[in-house]
Amino acid sequence: MIEVRGITKSFGTMLALDDVSFGIGRGEILGFLGPNGAGKSTTMKIITTFLAPDSGSVTVDGIDVLEKPLDVRGKIGYLPENVPLYLDMNVHEYLTFVGRARGLEGVALRDRLDWCVEACGLVTEYMKNIGELSKGFRQRTGLAQALIHDPEILILDEPTSGLDPLQIIGIRDLIKSLAGSKTIIFSTHILQEVAPVTDRVVIINEGRIIADGKVDSLSREAMGGVRLYVGLSQDSETVESSLRSLAEVSEVKPLPVENGCRFELLGPFTTDLTRSVVDLARNQGWDLTELHEAPFNLEETFISLTKRADDGRKGVA
Amino acid sequence: MSGTITIFRREFAAYFNSPIAYIFIIAFLVLNTGLFMTGFFLAGNADLRSFFGNLPIFLIFFIPAVSMRLWAEDKRLGTFELLMTLPLKASQVMLGKYFAALAFYLVALAGTLPLPIMIATLGNPDMGALWSGYFGSALLGALYLGIGTFTSGLMRDQISAVILGIMACFMIFVVGIPGVAATVDGWLPGFGSFLQNYVGLSSHFEMMLRGVVSLGDLTYFLGMTALFLTLNALWLEGRKY
Repeated sequence: MIEVRGITKSFGTMLALDDVSFGIGRGEILGFLGPNGAGKSTTMKIITTFLAPDSGSVTVDGIDVLEKPLDVRGKIGYLPENVPLYLDMNVHEYLTFVGRARGLEGVALRDRLDWCVEACGLVTEYMKNIGELSKGFRQRTGLAQALIHDPEILILDEPTSGLDPLQIIGIRDLIKSLAGSKTIIFSTHILQEVAPVTDRVVIINEGRIIADGKVDSLSREAMGGVRLYVGLSQDSETVESSLRSLAEVSEVKPLPVENGCRFELLGPFTTDLTRSVVDLARNQGWDLTELHEAPFNLEETFISLTKRADDGRKGVA
Repeated sequence: MSGTITIFRREFAAYFNSPIAYIFIIAFLVLNTGLFMTGFFLAGNADLRSFFGNLPIFLIFFIPAVSMRLWAEDKRLGTFELLMTLPLKASQVMLGKYFAALAFYLVALAGTLPLPIMIATLGNPDMGALWSGYFGSALLGALYLGIGTFTSGLMRDQISAVILGIMACFMIFVVGIPGVAATVDGWLPGFGSFLQNYVGLSSHFEMMLRGVVSLGDLTYFLGMTALFLTLNALWLEGRKY
């Protein structure tokens, strides 16, 4: 649906994007991750035709953003990072304005207004001036604006920034409810926000894509293996050394626990670590109380990936 | 076309959504009719020449204040990004904004219509000169607004936009003054007269006040306005790169 191929963009002497490529299929949700200033917004501005890349190309549903920007804009609903609101209008006037500017009128416009106001939870604020709305409602008004023309593609730049936890869940649920029917790219620098919504992420740092894929496989790859938690009801000196003796285990870390003992094991993800531990426990007659693989969370992955990317670049230099 | 109308409606309403519009219109009417009426009974002429004659200077300050918000405000609010990602050409958005500002100016100008009515009641004015004077004033405002819209696009904040607009309008006005043209001719023979005839507005506006609407003057006003609007559209397109 969206193909980004080798785009580069610089502002003055600052290189904002350096050979960025990724793609997203129809109906897919993509979490676009990266620290502040990594180039997330710039990439989104290029996809939405607000900015043009210095080199490289972007196609949306097969249409080049530079050749036919108006056709591309018609397909996209866009929520920029700074929510674009006219503070002197009320929610109704504002959404009507955006709807009309996007070519809706009459019954079609009314139907979309009703749907957006309902879906974005704006019913109570509908006739209020946008200048009087709280941050959360402003964000929702911005989201309603992006949805007004029922676009095939949604591009949301930090849709949950500055919201309280309940509002974040609200926006998240809304995005999830649109899954399947729309192609969605949303950016965030808060990693925990991605997992509940999607498992496909693209991670960008200092203008370069450093990872692209499913969260699970990215984590395994980034951390170089799997992590296992093992708990036993009995405590014994020999347990730790037995675990260490396993060929597949690269690291054993004892963890504090009230009864018995508990360990964190690390091993390469190519081996079946769980199997080996189960076999060992059977042979030794251990009473296992806990045994599960713990996926690495996004923070750990992210830190490891950015560090690796930095090291890589220094190595080249 | 419908896109331009949508933008026009939003921008025109925006003027009247804040008290600034009313303050602008009242200031425009009080200052202009006030200045005119002070001299009117002394001079005892049944015409509006002194009223129209003041406009080129007065509008140098008034028009950039009307147009300053057109782009600068959108950049401040972030709505510039919304406008530039709507499925509309940048020129459509620009024309919607420009015509909204022009309509606002024409509303203010229409507020002075009691003056010709009063003059027609008191004396026997040259109605042709009155109407061509109004027509010329509308064209004058249209030109200044073209400049003001352009300068508003260049700036991120409204204060810079208004100051740059005032300077640009002043330049267009001042090079048309015969004394200035003569001085410039003294430095660079021919250049001053060239500026006076093709860039400066005074001579073109003067003819309208006398009741003469010539194709040349019309071309000057519409051409200059189109020039600045084209520059604005080019800037909007070029901004992406």
